[in-house]
Amino acid sequence: MNLTRRGFFKATALAFAGSMAYELSAQSQAFAVDLHNGEWKLVNTEEYTNICCYCSGGCGSIVSVRDGEVINVEGDPDHPINEGCLCPKGAAMFQLRNIVDPATNEVVHNPERRTTPMVRRPGATEWEEISWEEAIEGVARRVKDTRDATLIEKENGITVNYTPAIGSLGGSQQNSEEEYLILKMMRSLGLVAIDNQARV
Amino acid sequence: MTGHYCDFKNADVILTSGSNNLENHPVSSKWVQRALDAGATWIVVDPRFTRTASQADIYCPIRPGTDIAFYGGMINYIIEKDLWQHEYVEHYTNATFIMDEGYSFDPETGFFSGWDESKKAYDKHTWHYQVESESEWDTSEGGSFAWVKDPGVPEFTPPKVQVARKDPTMQDPQCVWQLMKKHYSRYTIEKVCETCGMDEDTLIQVYEAYASTGAPEKAGTILYALGQTQHTYGTNNTRIMTLVQLLLGNVGVAGGGLNALRGEPNVQGATDMAMLVFDFPGYLRWPNVSESPNLRAWCESQTYYGGFYTNKPKFMVSALKEWFGEHATVENDYGYDWLPKIPKNGGDYTTMGTFHLMDAGTMKGYFAWGQNPVVSDPNSAFNRRAMANLEWLVVADWVETATASFWRAPDMKPEDIQTEVYFLPAALIYEKSGTIANSGRWLQWRYKAVEPVGEAKPDYEIADMLWTKIVELYKAEGGPSAESILNVKWDYYVDGKIDPRPVAWAFNGYKVASSDMKSAKMDLLPAFAQLKADGSTACAIWIYGGYYNNSDAPLDPAAQPVGRREHDDPGELGLYPKWAFSWPANRRIIYNRASADANGKPWNPKRVLVEWNGTEWATRNDVPDFVFQTANADGTNTPVAPNDNAFFMKPEQHANFISYGLADAALPEHYEPFESPTKNTFNALQNSPLMKFADHPSAKKGDFGEFPIVATTYSITEHWQTGAQTRMCPALNEIAPRQFIEMSMELAEEKGIKNGDEVIVWNNRGEVRLNALVTARFRPLTVNGETIHQVGMIHHWDWTNMFSTGEVVNDLTPNVGDPNSFIPEFKAFLVDVKKA
Amino acid sequence: MAEKAIMFDSSRCSACKGCQVACKTWNLLPSPIELNSQKWSGTLQNPPDLDENTRLVISFDEKPREKYGVDWAFGRRGCSHCTDAPCVQVCPSGCMHKDEETGFVIFDTDLCTGCQYCHMACPFDVPRYHNVGLSGYNITVNKCTACIDRVRNDRAPACVSTCQPGALMFGDRDEMLKIAHERVDLLKEKGFEAARVYGENEMGGLHTLRVLKYPIEQYGLPENPQTSPLLGAMGWMKPILGVGAVALVGGLGISFLTGLGYHRDEMRYDEVNHDIIDVDTGETIRHIDKEAGER
Repeated sequence: MNLTRRGFFKATALAFAGSMAYELSAQSQAFAVDLHNGEWKLVNTEEYTNICCYCSGGCGSIVSVRDGEVINVEGDPDHPINEGCLCPKGAAMFQLRNIVDPATNEVVHNPERRTTPMVRRPGATEWEEISWEEAIEGVARRVKDTRDATLIEKENGITVNYTPAIGSLGGSQQNSEEEYLILKMMRSLGLVAIDNQARV
Repeated sequence: MTGHYCDFKNADVILTSGSNNLENHPVSSKWVQRALDAGATWIVVDPRFTRTASQADIYCPIRPGTDIAFYGGMINYIIEKDLWQHEYVEHYTNATFIMDEGYSFDPETGFFSGWDESKKAYDKHTWHYQVESESEWDTSEGGSFAWVKDPGVPEFTPPKVQVARKDPTMQDPQCVWQLMKKHYSRYTIEKVCETCGMDEDTLIQVYEAYASTGAPEKAGTILYALGQTQHTYGTNNTRIMTLVQLLLGNVGVAGGGLNALRGEPNVQGATDMAMLVFDFPGYLRWPNVSESPNLRAWCESQTYYGGFYTNKPKFMVSALKEWFGEHATVENDYGYDWLPKIPKNGGDYTTMGTFHLMDAGTMKGYFAWGQNPVVSDPNSAFNRRAMANLEWLVVADWVETATASFWRAPDMKPEDIQTEVYFLPAALIYEKSGTIANSGRWLQWRYKAVEPVGEAKPDYEIADMLWTKIVELYKAEGGPSAESILNVKWDYYVDGKIDPRPVAWAFNGYKVASSDMKSAKMDLLPAFAQLKADGSTACAIWIYGGYYNNSDAPLDPAAQPVGRREHDDPGELGLYPKWAFSWPANRRIIYNRASADANGKPWNPKRVLVEWNGTEWATRNDVPDFVFQTANADGTNTPVAPNDNAFFMKPEQHANFISYGLADAALPEHYEPFESPTKNTFNALQNSPLMKFADHPSAKKGDFGEFPIVATTYSITEHWQTGAQTRMCPALNEIAPRQFIEMSMELAEEKGIKNGDEVIVWNNRGEVRLNALVTARFRPLTVNGETIHQVGMIHHWDWTNMFSTGEVVNDLTPNVGDPNSFIPEFKAFLVDVKKA
Repeated sequence: MAEKAIMFDSSRCSACKGCQVACKTWNLLPSPIELNSQKWSGTLQNPPDLDENTRLVISFDEKPREKYGVDWAFGRRGCSHCTDAPCVQVCPSGCMHKDEETGFVIFDTDLCTGCQYCHMACPFDVPRYHNVGLSGYNITVNKCTACIDRVRNDRAPACVSTCQPGALMFGDRDEMLKIAHERVDLLKEKGFEAARVYGENEMGGLHTLRVLKYPIEQYGLPENPQTSPLLGAMGWMKPILGVGAVALVGGLGISFLTGLGYHRDEMRYDEVNHDIIDVDTGETIRHIDKEAGER
């Protein structure tokens, strides 16, 4: 193994990730990243390699982190496919999490993102925020009731164990392990209607 | 992809068709530029002059939806001018094979032999070869297939080995070569131009340039994307490109291949993982009622008589062993019955069909995991209305997508919609770890960099929470076929927390007896060759075998093949075999046997993937995709001398020109799109006879008389898909702030539209308002003697988002599709436009 | 460190604007976030011009070809980093200055007095200002710094680092010039007769070199950029700060630019009236109401 600069941090990445307990409160989202104080922007950052979330090129990126917050995302110069380059979408990956508020020039968490479970009740005109426990209980109950009411166990003498009443769509944005867990859950529940972005 | 991104640099000619690769796969620009620097020629065929076209040596326009005519003409040109790669075609393809006496195609009807009007389907028995001889697998002790008799292997009758009749001279009128030659002889330059709309000089220039790669030492690559696939005959579009590549000897060589530039970061992974109605992980078939109602039937229907897929029972049993763990035994068919079986009308459960099912009230609950179908699927307004019939909907995403908020779309009344909708906030890509597969089949590892913001969670954690709760409910309450759920093995925890790494072990495969997930002591298999059909190995997806196989450090992805970061480049072909892992078996260019001639000598000495030196395959810059040696009992290997079995994933181990694999054609044949501006002049059928969902009332076919403009949809480089993910980035909105419709100056003048005007675009399915971009990059085409106008719309907008909103262009696209892939026809349909 | 240059090869540029975004994200420059605040510009060139938070814009220009398609010129709008940089010469406070090692023109925001001389002096219409129109308070300059912080830390500027097709390169100026000439030779061989290197000698030599594939008109670059003959006259104004002086110099600056016949981009932002103007027709495309907080 060649221990390049980036070769080194990747070996330590997981151990580091496990020790992090950083959390920004919703009330104090702004955090200072000052380019004009003369200090190198990436001073004291940890670097983690990642893969771009847009087309299927598989371009490598480096996520620079300081004090549990993303400071910068740019192309991984050691990556043989993109050699450090990123297209506009890839170059904007930083903004999925953090953007610059033009009013204050401060970096804040992207306000378009939703980071709390929500439910929209039948007939309601707005969302209500709920806890994860409520969300998971609510969904699990819905799944079980629908499955139990619609599961076809046998058809023409063949054990079929499927439900035509539940569908699951998507997967191309998940990591492969997540795809498998979703697939395994859905198929085990008897779903036939499983599809993802490959179908469009 | 048969190759990978870096391999584009090795091409002599690059043909971009049905793709806008610079804009939508920008990293391809790096590798295409390198090819150009080395002297390559670049051809772009596209209905409009794109940023990609601006860089090409040759640009050729084409009417949307006429690619089979374009490539059919190229095949005819290549054969007529004798530009095909003789040795390659004669040795590695089925050109010499003799087809069933009954095989035919009749342009007078538009049908291939075997059409059954009552069933509206082909009986494909005439689409097979004539059989010269049949034999049995050698399952005796010491035989190649002795494993079939091993204890623990499910009982099944192995398939009969068939040897097809052949004519090495390729003169037999019923041989594949002669049938194909005859089939495409109708595709003359003149007729192709009349149908596709380009002029003859340009077409000949393109054919000539691309056919030059038929020289044995030359390599040509085709880069394609959804421009080819999103048609009611999209699968045949991809097949006909394969035919061209085989004729020119371009498959399996460095700088060649058929390269699907896939549009989502892990769509390759999702396809590998079979998040698709009919599939089982690793490109196996999910159990279905017709072919595989039980494990025995699965083995008998799926196992090939020859080639590598003789091993399918090993893959399936290992996968079942992973699925059900200790509950899977040979006595209970490894739990096969617990899995759902796809019913006869399985196609109705594909994405477009699910909206029909919602419309009909059959489908009551729906999950959308990072997908946004009310914007990305065709006839979106119909989809939104259909979704209102759902009892419940669950959306896991980063933002409140249009799907999550379909109930408050501008055309919906929330008070009337009884659907309960859950939104589950998902972690970003750098807020979690895991494996991702790119288009070139490279499996790479993403490292978590930060904790998710707020309460967002990785999808794996969401899935685990939900599964755990469901299991809890079934344990407490029971339910129909509860054992299908309760017998599932779900033990992917590290220190009691759900974790992607144990899933990675399951992907790689391990020995059951000597592994313990709980204590992270794993006996990981070196490669998929070690998989067994007797229940002693577990593996979720055989093609990932070897990607995470270091048992010394199962918790450290950086110590695994998937985490490799070395730059070795044997042969200087950009193969990078020590960077990450490429499935299968770390093979970077599949079918690489075909990179060398019948004697194992590379066609091009500068592009050596594998080479036979007279006694062995001594040079292996890439992992051989063929049997290059056999293992002896004493641990030594015996080299296997070159033979013609260059495509060993096929039962006959030869590449197919004519094939029985698709539902709608044995050889790709031109049909018109569902909504077309002209008559099909190649055969008597206007549309593919098997076009899917065309009869559903929601499709609302438009007529050329009423809607005289051909429309197509596409992406721009600045945004992505439904825009949910890119319109949340202010920097991307700033460089592409609004959606638009592109049209020619001629059409704009005819309609009184000026650049920048707001225009209304409509057809039977919907109406949208967009800003006009009037440009000379769009030109009207002359098709069968008539002037045809075309417009193009980008589709990245909807009513959601706090920074940038727009209209849903897919309200206009038809929800009809291909009968093989069930992919919608986004790329060619009819509209009219007027100034708003 | 030797004299450096950014080299932009228009013939390799795919106009993806990755460079524009990388510039924004590295330098933490904000983009508009008010809902639909950007109007349709009628072109892929977005934002239409440089502004106080935009240091780099890829320009688009198309000339119809006879049969199919267009000659599509992708240009680079941004600081040229002149050797004889008039912006440095007119700067009264030392804010705008040369980085001696690399030759890049950089600025120190803390020293900016908001006089805007640098824009008036610039033959390329580059420097822009924060807070213009808001009572003149706290006006500060903004423009490309060639990511001098990155350069000093052994990285290429963000735009160069991110460029997928290799249209942007960074290195010693001599080396960049050599590559630029080689590319031009190749383009001429391929039949692009107007291909040329831009920036070798202009303004004493630019540190943003360009390989032009099509005629220069398609890139909105001045054929023969000049230091303003009025620069000498402006020298005495340096110490004079105030609205009157700025207005006077503004008038001179505009006549100086039109005097050279310099054709800017198809669309241009007029700082004085806050209009986006179509250069060809002189028509005002859009008026920006700064007082209402519009950007």
